[in-house]
Amino acid sequence: MNTCYIPENLTEALEIRRKTHALPLAGGTDLMVQAKQGIGINPVFKSPIMIITGLDELKGIRVEDDGTLVIGALTTSAEIAADERVFYHIRTAASQMGAISLRNTATIGGNIANASPKGDLPQPLILLDATLTLASLDGEREMKVDDFITGAKKTALNDDEIIKEIRVKPVEANYLFYHKIGTRKANAISKLSLSAMANVKDGLILDFRASSGAAGDKVKRKREVEEMLIGKAVSDIPSLKDGFLTAWNGILSPHAMPTYRRESTKRMLSYFLDKISEGAELGIIS
Amino acid sequence: MAATRIDDKIRRSDALSKARGEAKYVSDLFFDGMLYAMMLRSTEARADIISITPPTLPDGYYFITADDIPPEGKNGLHMIAEDWRCFAKGDVRFVGETIGLFVGPSRAVLKSLVDNTKVEYSVKEGAYSIDDAIAIKGGPIVEGKEDDVMCQLYCEKGRDMESVFKEADEILTETFETGFQEHVHLETNGAVVMEEGENYVFYISCQCPFYVRKSVAGLLGIPVERVIVRQTTTGGAFGGKEHFPDVLAGPLLVAEHKIHKPIKLIFDREEDMEFSVKRHPSKIIYKSAIKDGKLIGTKGDIYYNCGAYLSASFVVLQRGVFHANGVYDIPNTYLTGYGMATNTFPSDAFRGFGAPQTLFAIEMHMSHIARRLGIDPADFKKSMFLKKGGETVTNGHVVEEVMLNEMFDNIAKESDYYRKSREYGYGSGRGIGVSFYNHGGAFTGNGEQAIIKAHARLRKEGERVIIEVGSTEMGQGFQTILRKIAAAVLEIPIENVDYPNPDTSCVPDSGPTAASRSTMIVGRLIERCAQEMKERWGEGDFTVEKEYEHPDGFPWDQSTFRGDAYLGYGWGAAIVELEIDRRTNEVVVKGIWSSHEIGKAIDELIVHGQINGGVIQSLGYASMEKMENRNGHFKQTSMSDYVIPTSMDFPEQYYHIQENPYEFGPFGAKGMGELVFNGADAAYVDALERAIGKEVYKIPLPPEDIEEALRNA
Repeated sequence: MNTCYIPENLTEALEIRRKTHALPLAGGTDLMVQAKQGIGINPVFKSPIMIITGLDELKGIRVEDDGTLVIGALTTSAEIAADERVFYHIRTAASQMGAISLRNTATIGGNIANASPKGDLPQPLILLDATLTLASLDGEREMKVDDFITGAKKTALNDDEIIKEIRVKPVEANYLFYHKIGTRKANAISKLSLSAMANVKDGLILDFRASSGAAGDKVKRKREVEEMLIGKAVSDIPSLKDGFLTAWNGILSPHAMPTYRRESTKRMLSYFLDKISEGAELGIIS
Repeated sequence: MAATRIDDKIRRSDALSKARGEAKYVSDLFFDGMLYAMMLRSTEARADIISITPPTLPDGYYFITADDIPPEGKNGLHMIAEDWRCFAKGDVRFVGETIGLFVGPSRAVLKSLVDNTKVEYSVKEGAYSIDDAIAIKGGPIVEGKEDDVMCQLYCEKGRDMESVFKEADEILTETFETGFQEHVHLETNGAVVMEEGENYVFYISCQCPFYVRKSVAGLLGIPVERVIVRQTTTGGAFGGKEHFPDVLAGPLLVAEHKIHKPIKLIFDREEDMEFSVKRHPSKIIYKSAIKDGKLIGTKGDIYYNCGAYLSASFVVLQRGVFHANGVYDIPNTYLTGYGMATNTFPSDAFRGFGAPQTLFAIEMHMSHIARRLGIDPADFKKSMFLKKGGETVTNGHVVEEVMLNEMFDNIAKESDYYRKSREYGYGSGRGIGVSFYNHGGAFTGNGEQAIIKAHARLRKEGERVIIEVGSTEMGQGFQTILRKIAAAVLEIPIENVDYPNPDTSCVPDSGPTAASRSTMIVGRLIERCAQEMKERWGEGDFTVEKEYEHPDGFPWDQSTFRGDAYLGYGWGAAIVELEIDRRTNEVVVKGIWSSHEIGKAIDELIVHGQINGGVIQSLGYASMEKMENRNGHFKQTSMSDYVIPTSMDFPEQYYHIQENPYEFGPFGAKGMGELVFNGADAAYVDALERAIGKEVYKIPLPPEDIEEALRNA
């Protein structure tokens, strides 16, 4: 028998969470599948659950005065995909997640909390240094998504906390790249995903970032490797490229990334760098 | 209402009820006092069973095993062979083999009973692949055999191969491999059993109600008539419900014999993928002699992985061998087929029934020979087409005019094949590929006459006409096809013709709904019934029943596999154009063109649907449908890791239907359900090879396997 709570507002939800440590269930697109027992048998959850789908405080997208984008934890992938204020990488990843019915239900908070290495949204969020606001009865704390996800299916969420919202500060970039290789062209789980971006001005690379999804126990990104290109001239890309690609390859998990995925990642990054080096038109590189 | 004409386009009679969710499937049926069942299955591929210890059973729960089969019964399911045990006893031969059946009122309790049953094994080394079986790994699987060859046959045509190879300028030897394929029928397997008087009644999702009856009656040692099978609306099958429903029905019948209450067994999707039959994986070695720019002879060694029981595999292998020369008149051939026993789940029927594997291999082999000769594959293949009267690999002859040239001309023009073939070349990242294929209609050889002896009946009740056959609608549109044939002959509206789901106690046995035989054979029977009914229309209420009549002049010897293997073939030609993303190896298919000669389309809308579905299923087989088996366990067990194509994966198709009325079919129609699966895979891989500039020898080819092919070449 499952114990299930349905709070009416965030405060009540936090009280239940502190008292019972009930597992928050938002869209249910991961948890219901995990709890499935077979045809004609009720799902079985290992702990009490709390259905938070009705908490309006955690829904919606807004932009604060300083340009920070704030996405409520219960915002669905479909809503994110449809909102042009959302950064390209996040929006595109949301638009390619599962099938339409799933995107109408699955939430960004759930996708982060599930912490699957193949999850679609953590990868672009980590690229953009997104942070989370975690709420408990004691107040709120802020944490980078990259720090929050500690490994495959592992997070730093305390058992009395709920993910309230996701915050992304403005990031300047004029070359953008996102690609997901799924098991097929729609309704697919990611075999591999890659985001990359660069901010180029007057022939100088002011910023460069990349993140690899489904590349190990969690999303792979490393500032030290990105820094191999930052501050360098665009004209230096040809001489820096091989070293960068080798270093990037070094941060991918050898176990999770067999030859094909490793080589595809390398070829995509190489392509992106070539485009910048060639002085391709600013914007999305496809 | 107007009388229905054969060329009217008809809305399928079952379309609305299925689209609206009104149709009742077996899972929707509930009966008073009904219990549920859940299987206890083997978790080992090859092992002796030391002990089976179920938990203490709560009141009202049962555990049924081989020991519950009465002394007059036999622990075997009578498919084509009778070797598949209803319940494993003493040992297990594959993962998922049924050991027992728990029965009781709550599925949650049943699950905990299954989960808490302790089966102690003494594990033995197993054989899982064709290579394992060739090496007789772990010793022979079939008792009394010296190797793992479960069944074997050969066919020869022309001269002695040794002399052919001696005079060759060049010899090309190639090995091709194809993988498992899962049916992924929309509705999973399921059945309900109950008693009615002294009879046992099944409500079951299946293709062949009479097969179920025949298969299970022996378990209780009762006459087949005491088992009544009522087919429930069936949500897809593809061969996966030809023999496999017997594996559910057998244990249920033994349970019913003991429990006497309605019992329902429905497979979950994961169960239906992990523990069900698959398409036979194959390994096919062709050795060909080329002389003066011509293919003069081919030797083929054809291995199919049959799994742990023979069941229907020998017949599948026969069809594979009979199609191993494709649509070509290769003057000298020697083909040997080997059905290999392994400790994997038994392989069984799947759309194409053995033909797709060899057709894929011969198509690739022919393209590779063409490339060595510097000839466009299409031209090389065209130069070797079989013709009417031409000799087949079984020393029979082709019955009909072969119209592949006309068919190819049509799609070559539509696709601009020759220009693209020249321009794209080899290794440009773009490719256009071509394939030709056929499919022998109905049962092999004299099977229709000697084994099936199909009957069909038409009943007139006032102004209504009722079709009584054992053939089933499984989504392919057969209810519409048969009703249309009857209505068109009788010149009455199709709405006045009924065709209820068959009940074996009420309808004659028209044979299995398989082998692309339904329209060709059963359709013809109904056409003949309707012709007589039309003449006697004024006589009031009456019935007309007809038996299959074999046309004269088509000899067949089943002991030597010599003669006319089929009374007619469907023919196909396909072209696929694609581009490959060099960075990710993702393939984008830009165009699909096909032409099929099926005698005559009884209903163009239904035929179009079959073409769309069959071609996409074949492209899925070639590109993404990867099912691996590790130590007897299927690795892909859900619809998220075993992926089938969506409508986003392939573009809209161009299709052409070539008319060529067939003498022995209704309105000139032949079979087509399997034909449309048989060739798009090879066209896709031909195009892919041209795009990447490398030859490949196995399917499926998801992006990671393309990477491997590029690296290994």
